[in-house]
Amino acid sequence: MGTSVQVMPLSGAYGEGPLCYLLAVDGFRFLLDCGWTDHCDPALLQPLARVAPTIDAVLLSHPDMMHLGALPYAIKHLGLSAPVYATEPVFRLGLLTMYDYFLSRWQVADFDLFSLDDIDAAFQNVVRLKYSQNHLLNDKGEGIVIAPHVSGHLLGGTVWKITKDGEDVVYAVDFNHRKERHLNGTTLGSFVRPAVLITDAYNALNNQVYKRQQDQDFIDSMVKVLSSGGSVLLPVDTAGRVLELLLIMEQYWAQRHLVYPIYFLTNVSTSTVDFVKSFLEWMSDSISKSFEHTRDNAFLLRHVSLIINKEELEKLGDAPKVVLASMSSLEVGFSHDIFVEMANEAKNLVLFTEKGQFGTLARMLQVDPPPKAVKVTMSKRVPLVGDELKAYEEEQERIKKEEVLKASISKEKELKASHESNAKASDPMVVDASSSRKSSNAGSHVGGNVDILIDGFVSPVTSIAPMFPFFENTADWDDFGEVINPDDYMMKQDEMDNNMMLGAGDGMDGKLDESSARLLLDSAPSKVISNEMTVQVKCSLAYMDFEGRSDGRSVKSVIAHVAPLKLVLVHGSAEATEHLKMHCAKNSDLHVYAPQIEETIDVTSDLCAYKVQLSEKLMSNVLSKKLGEHEIAWVDSGVGKVDEKLTLLPPSSTPAAHKSVLVGDLKLADFKQFLANKGLQVEFAGGALRCGEYITVRKIGDSNQKGSTGSQQIVVEGPLCEDYYKIRELLYSQFFLL
Amino acid sequence: APASTCPSRAAPSSFDCGIHPAYSGMAALPYFDEIDPSAIDVLLVTHFHLDHAASLPYFLEKVGHHVVTLTCGGGRCCYAVWCLNLLCSALLCFCLQTTFKGRVFMTHATKAIYRLLLSDYVKVSKVSVEDMLFDEQDIIRSMDKIEVIDFHQTLEVNGIRFWCYTAGHVLGAAMFMVDIAGVRILYTGDYSREEDRHLKAAEVPQFSPDICIIESTYGVQQHQPRHVREKRFTDAIHNTVSQGGRVLIPAYALGRAQELLLILDEYWSNHPELHKIPIYYASPLAKKCMAVYQTYINSMNERIRNQFAQSNPFHFKHIEPLNNIDNFHDVGPSVVMASPGSLQSGLSRQLFDKWCTDKKNACVISGFAVEGSLVKTIINEPREVTLANGLTAPLHMQIFYISFSAHADFPQTSGFLDELRPPNIILVHGGANEMGRLKQKLITQFDGTNTKIVSPKNCQSVEMYFSSEKMAKIVGRLAEKVPEAEESVSGLLVKKGFTYQIMAPEDLRVYTQLSTTNITQRISVPYSGSFEVIKYRLKQIYESVESSTKEPDVPTLIVHERVTIRLESESYVTLQWSSDSISDMVSDSVVATILNIGREGPKAVPIEAAAKTEEETEKVVQKVVYALMVSLFGDVKFAEEGKLVISVDGDVAHLDGRSGDVECENAALKERVSTAFRRIQGAVRPIPLSAS
Repeated sequence: MGTSVQVMPLSGAYGEGPLCYLLAVDGFRFLLDCGWTDHCDPALLQPLARVAPTIDAVLLSHPDMMHLGALPYAIKHLGLSAPVYATEPVFRLGLLTMYDYFLSRWQVADFDLFSLDDIDAAFQNVVRLKYSQNHLLNDKGEGIVIAPHVSGHLLGGTVWKITKDGEDVVYAVDFNHRKERHLNGTTLGSFVRPAVLITDAYNALNNQVYKRQQDQDFIDSMVKVLSSGGSVLLPVDTAGRVLELLLIMEQYWAQRHLVYPIYFLTNVSTSTVDFVKSFLEWMSDSISKSFEHTRDNAFLLRHVSLIINKEELEKLGDAPKVVLASMSSLEVGFSHDIFVEMANEAKNLVLFTEKGQFGTLARMLQVDPPPKAVKVTMSKRVPLVGDELKAYEEEQERIKKEEVLKASISKEKELKASHESNAKASDPMVVDASSSRKSSNAGSHVGGNVDILIDGFVSPVTSIAPMFPFFENTADWDDFGEVINPDDYMMKQDEMDNNMMLGAGDGMDGKLDESSARLLLDSAPSKVISNEMTVQVKCSLAYMDFEGRSDGRSVKSVIAHVAPLKLVLVHGSAEATEHLKMHCAKNSDLHVYAPQIEETIDVTSDLCAYKVQLSEKLMSNVLSKKLGEHEIAWVDSGVGKVDEKLTLLPPSSTPAAHKSVLVGDLKLADFKQFLANKGLQVEFAGGALRCGEYITVRKIGDSNQKGSTGSQQIVVEGPLCEDYYKIRELLYSQFFLL
Repeated sequence: APASTCPSRAAPSSFDCGIHPAYSGMAALPYFDEIDPSAIDVLLVTHFHLDHAASLPYFLEKVGHHVVTLTCGGGRCCYAVWCLNLLCSALLCFCLQTTFKGRVFMTHATKAIYRLLLSDYVKVSKVSVEDMLFDEQDIIRSMDKIEVIDFHQTLEVNGIRFWCYTAGHVLGAAMFMVDIAGVRILYTGDYSREEDRHLKAAEVPQFSPDICIIESTYGVQQHQPRHVREKRFTDAIHNTVSQGGRVLIPAYALGRAQELLLILDEYWSNHPELHKIPIYYASPLAKKCMAVYQTYINSMNERIRNQFAQSNPFHFKHIEPLNNIDNFHDVGPSVVMASPGSLQSGLSRQLFDKWCTDKKNACVISGFAVEGSLVKTIINEPREVTLANGLTAPLHMQIFYISFSAHADFPQTSGFLDELRPPNIILVHGGANEMGRLKQKLITQFDGTNTKIVSPKNCQSVEMYFSSEKMAKIVGRLAEKVPEAEESVSGLLVKKGFTYQIMAPEDLRVYTQLSTTNITQRISVPYSGSFEVIKYRLKQIYESVESSTKEPDVPTLIVHERVTIRLESESYVTLQWSSDSISDMVSDSVVATILNIGREGPKAVPIEAAAKTEEETEKVVQKVVYALMVSLFGDVKFAEEGKLVISVDGDVAHLDGRSGDVECENAALKERVSTAFRRIQGAVRPIPLSAS
């Protein structure tokens, strides 16, 4: 039987919610992406919460909020504990995206859904893979191979191929077939007939085709504003599409000798670009080529200043400038603040390069016509002063006291317990040096006596004679003197490394930019003050599609080309999903599914398979014909069975004749050329090929459409004449007869 | 060429190319005749090789290496080891100009450095233009042909699958695993199992290969532990500069040089008292390649990547590049790393000549000391040395020899093989003596484990046979039921790469991009007689001639369940069938019959004939059988119950005219009679359906 496959969307189905899907392959449960919106609404994660502890592996496809935003929260609060798989850039840029998000949020609200430590913890166990690396899963996933493939859209973006017993399940969302400045197009097209393809309908209705001209327009519209003294704000993501925008701007700024300053402002902009510089292996061929030839790193930005706070911008005042600031939703982050500052000046421009997430300020501003005024909440984190500070300190004091009290109570209990157990184990007055040493070495919690020394002396109620622990150092002697452990005198190899590393600090945290670090390390009590205000939107607003996703038409042709046996559609508005579903369902033998959230669909292939061994004897008699990359032959064989192992042997008796099979694909136009070369008169007439005077050759049915499993139907018609047999002969020569 | 054998088709792939820079032109490629470049499918380059210091003929004998071709054709698979060292990538550039048509793969870092290294090679080689194997243009052209492969990335070319593992040794160095029809071959190239300051140790592959081709440069030698070497290195330098001396580190431009620079930069960072003492690296090539080192951080170890999270460790804080000796103000203590490592010429030699007479100064030799070079001479600390200008000068300078070579030593090789447990080991790249000793030690180590160890000479073949088990997957509707023994399976066998599938023709489209085609033929034949006549005539030929009642207006016949005949009008009939060799034959006979009816004239149905009884038909058959038997055997008589008695040369056979049973004492005659009867029966009766 085939591999059993089930899919259940947990979010992002029939809608533009964050992507999060459950895929079970023979009982092994994959979580495909773990996204969240910029609102971070835990209610959205309800479906995930129900299944999180049962997940066996998490596969991440893109480094942005929509694809991995909920990971820290899910690991911290929802009991998600499975290993996470991602490519190196998705891991690194995803981490930076989460840092940026957290810091943006933390500056304006008492954000407590997850902390920086939770982010680190979530990303610590990410298994990093290379493109087309076949990674074999162990234990429960025995026999399953996962491999990331190029997806385009974002750096490190991944199309996941999950293979079990030769059947492929492909998860491809937000792919881009087009090659861009910094990314190659997706390799999705090279997959042939996967059992299941899970893809998104996000762009199904969007048939805007990206044109070269668009870059020009993009720059022109900015230059127009800049030259008339205005500034441009581009709300961008932290480390995704912004990379492409930076390259476009770099290129045109250099070409046109523009001098307007460009600022890339996120909490992590400098480290983002530093890391991106080391990801050349993951970028487009042209980028690595230019590096190989000239050692010129494309992300050595000459016109863009990387800044991590607004101080420098404020210095510049009202001068024309371009600011790329996160977050793209305008909900929080630098983009939010700058928008508020820039919105009421008519000369300014806010240029959106991607469709805003549903229900965000960005989306509100993208409607046509745009609102005249919007309500925003301006928040700021300020240090506590005066009475508030006092109250805070008192509160902290109280909490501390409570904690101490609690700790002492629990310690007492613990101590009691340990004493009781000690009393059972040995005479309390005899200090067993070896055992206590062992326990203290292990940092064991049984060693209540060690705690006593640290946290102040609390006399246990039941204690008879509390005393400080005493270890007697007894030395063993032998004929040569004291017995030593030679290891104690060995130079430690790691020592030097450790010394060297001291300055380097803990690398796992990634590089937090100084000011952000200051912000966090600065534990001075602070609070958030907010005030609601109405912003008059006087500045011009524009939207240009730089999302880097395949458009509707391309998505359809990619699906037709890949020709999956079963297609699962997710992530797209209801209309888009229905549209794509209808379109694909036209193809009679393609099963299309578009499950609702928390609806489980079974996409187990109904294709059967079993394995046999081919005996040498059989194979020596097989004459195969080469057809492209395939070699094909007809075999008749008898089955031999040894210990449940099937072997194909030569047939014992003469096999019955089989209906001959014509293998090949005929294109009438090619055939016409072929006949013409043979000196026959041929012409197309009414969709059929007219050969000679009387004979017609035509195709019937639409089986020539890709993805169909039926045979191609060709009809040859004509009166009995010599030409008929001649043309039939020539037609046969176009096929392999088996 | 050592060769080993594994099954299946011609699909050669080849590892590495090397060139000998001491020779110029074609002379540098002594074994090039041994392989036909056009027969190679894939060329895998493990790393940019660097020891292009002074190479002497001795070196050629001592360290052989670098082209291992793996040809696998018609059930044979052979490895050619070329005794070429140095600059392995250079040959590649040359190869690409020849008949070589395969694909070339190397890692990103290797490719970036290959470009710089070869340009440098072209610039510094002093051969005449005609003798040049390639020029700058060729290098640029070759760059377009070279494809990149990332570590662990699996690629497939003509069914050969391959991927690479980290090899240590130098940046971008890879060990290739090649999988041909299920036989796995690991080629280590140069590798090191010791993690150092920037490189990962060579990985141990997840699966054991069937053949492991492993380098044996260091044979049975053992390296000093890394920390001891590093301490000796830094101590020597620290002592010298703190006493006001200058330190010269002759080193090759790439590879170990970067490691030494990292050590020095870190040491300086930890010793503020040294900050005023400058460190220079004087190699334009190293300077150019620094950008590559600064970029491909992700090919390096965890340590470097963690440091990178703080600041790029290859942006040195205490080390500066030095372009030429004129920019160098030699005013006080300093540390200079200069190429070439051999001290034969160039900047390192200039500095050596300048500094060798002062006993405060020191020279730290960190690389492999090639026999016959100045470096090798000064290791023995002679009293005097000959300067580049031919004069003799006393050698007072202190000499330290601390090897930082990143090749596996014996404990590493032995440990690696012990973990990997390959059933076949092929030793390459090493002096004959060293290799022999290593082989002996390994034989002892793997005694009783059935491990084969060979150390072929250059151009000596090693053949190995693997009985491969070909497995096929039966898929689709053919697989709906798993057959029992003795049952039969028929279908299309589809081979792609080295995998086999068996399927029903209808499923071909499902599992491959191939399609099957059905050709329907429709032919019109002039005929103006009665349709019944056609039916009557065909019934004499075919057992199955059915009238179809689908369309009552149009009389229709289905012959042999294959060909449909329709009376379309007064003047013609149409035949329709789907192409197949048998159907085509049936249709031909139908056409012939119809045409004959037209020619023969009588277009009416002989009613009386149609009304013939079964009995009469039987009588006719008997008559025909009798007549034909007479013409075959002569003496044939009727006996009772339709039996025939046939006498030939005194032997008598009794033939039952109905069942075909023959009674005869002569076996030969019996056989002849029964065969004749069977054929006559086939001819006199209509063709039965089952015979198709």
